[in-house]
Amino acid sequence: MSKDLRFLIVDDFSTMRRIVRGLLKEIGYVDADEAEDGVAALHKLRNGRFDFVVSDINMPNMNGFQLLKEIKSDDKLKHLPVLMVTAEARKEDIVLAAQSGAAGYIVKPFTKATLEDKLTHVIQKLGL
Amino acid sequence: MDQLHTDRPSQASDTTDDRSGEMYHRIGAITRQLHDALQELGFAEKLKGTVDELPDAQSRLTYIARLTGEAAEKVLNSVDEAKARQSQIVQISRLLESLFPAKPALAEQLQVIRQCGEMTDQHLTDIMMAQDFHDLTGQVISRVVKLAATIEDQLLQLLVDVAPPAVINKPTVVAASASTEYTGPRLEGPVVDTEGRDDVATSQQDVDDLLASLGF
Repeated sequence: MSKDLRFLIVDDFSTMRRIVRGLLKEIGYVDADEAEDGVAALHKLRNGRFDFVVSDINMPNMNGFQLLKEIKSDDKLKHLPVLMVTAEARKEDIVLAAQSGAAGYIVKPFTKATLEDKLTHVIQKLGL
Repeated sequence: MDQLHTDRPSQASDTTDDRSGEMYHRIGAITRQLHDALQELGFAEKLKGTVDELPDAQSRLTYIARLTGEAAEKVLNSVDEAKARQSQIVQISRLLESLFPAKPALAEQLQVIRQCGEMTDQHLTDIMMAQDFHDLTGQVISRVVKLAATIEDQLLQLLVDVAPPAVINKPTVVAASASTEYTGPRLEGPVVDTEGRDDVATSQQDVDDLLASLGF
């Protein structure tokens, strides 16, 4: 399991981006960049190298579902695992995310253990 | 017979038209009564007062969101700084422990310092995690602000409708902004009350169970 993975954290709240980044650092993943919505995230993904996306859902301009759809329909990006970290707790949203290709779903507020557990699961499953 | 067949839909249509006409007439009468009642009871003035107060309520909520956001950022800055210092303390105590293996009393004290440092770091992580309140409350405030804007628009429209023709000076009614591109589910934000709702996951375990039941 490589700790050299490069993460993109997508959330419209800078506080949450900092929290996720801080947690990733504690877990051992120090290489991360941030985007404030789906549009900015897509731009960064198409112009840089990333191994993992951690994305909120409810964001302006382009929400997490739209971003997920864009990623999964782009030949160059569709291999990227996308972990949804969101306050959206409706079961239909959770099912939709899974059916759309999300690698995992975490509801806010969450713990460091939950994030580490989901990341480890996805990374081991994909052999990253 | 043919004549009867062709006449039947027409008769039905006439009856429907009559009923629709009667319905519109009655709605018109009710609207006029409502209009007169609002005027006579002075509700239009009260409505105007409410409309005037809504932007103030919105700006107060936005102010709360901004201030809590700034506070959360300050806390995160301090946590970052404190974590860096704490990490230094732990590293130095480890180094000193390795330098004085022959002095058990000193090594014991250094071990206590290191353990305290590690525990403090854990508390700092907890403090960092607790700042997620800004995201969660911010989303709720944002929804309430949008709701207030929608209510304001609708009340303005009602005011325009009940105002006497002579005093109508139509304010600009701004339609509630809504994305026309996104066609997915309406996003609800944080669930503030899960009681009695079976359409939401109330914990991470709920999420995991749901996904597992679907084979994900």
